[in-house]
Amino acid sequence: MIVNYLSLSVILFCLGLLGVISRRNVFTVFMSIELMLNAANLMFVAVARLHESMDGHVLALMVMAVAAAEAALALAVVILLHKHKGNLDTNVFSLLRG
Amino acid sequence: MISTLLFFGFSILAVAGALGLVLLRHPMNGAMSFIITLISLAGLYALLSAKLIFAIQLIVYAGAIMSLILFIIMFLNIGEKDLPDESGRWLYFIGGAVVITPLAMFLLKVIGRVPGGDAQIVGNGFGSVKGVGSVLFQEWLLPFEVVSILLLVALVGAVVLAGKREDRA
Repeated sequence: MIVNYLSLSVILFCLGLLGVISRRNVFTVFMSIELMLNAANLMFVAVARLHESMDGHVLALMVMAVAAAEAALALAVVILLHKHKGNLDTNVFSLLRG
Repeated sequence: MISTLLFFGFSILAVAGALGLVLLRHPMNGAMSFIITLISLAGLYALLSAKLIFAIQLIVYAGAIMSLILFIIMFLNIGEKDLPDESGRWLYFIGGAVVITPLAMFLLKVIGRVPGGDAQIVGNGFGSVKGVGSVLFQEWLLPFEVVSILLLVALVGAVVLAGKREDRA
């Protein structure tokens, strides 16, 4: 039963990874990263149920807080990128070269 | 078993939403299908008797973060001309799937060996606000406070970045 949840988590994580490496739209890449964080959360909660310990729930809360902070910063960067370059291509990020 | 049916329904919805996120071209359509994934993950948390995580998933993820993302997508007013040229993306999908499939097979093989993957009776207060909160404030107090500093730094950084004046840029 728990193995089904863990398998679903692995499938969602690999879909998120596929989205990160194959898309060029900034928003889609960003939401794929969120999908990977959610897959990790599902793994935490399922293992917490398996071991009947609530530390996994606390870790899932921490991951959600990190995801919220990441959303705030990444969306600010996307707005800046759109203002300066006028498009949403991840290749534009090559301007971060030193 | 009603819980098995619910699990398969929610997991099919979650995988379908994730596929929509990865495959759809416009980010608005991707965000809408990602919301389906988030809500079905909340249902899965409820099936795992994680009551607090269920509520927070709905409120924070499907509510706050996704409405922020949708607001930014609408704020930038993305049309067809703003989207990057992704004509070769099917090639990237196939190549990425070829790369990722061995990783996925390995991970599935590893988690197939997790001992005791059967249903257990869990206590009445498992995953409730009281249970999670007492663990959070007794054993995870320092990480909790560090998270508050992280959120403050992210808030200040977002204001500094997005509110930048043009003359200084």
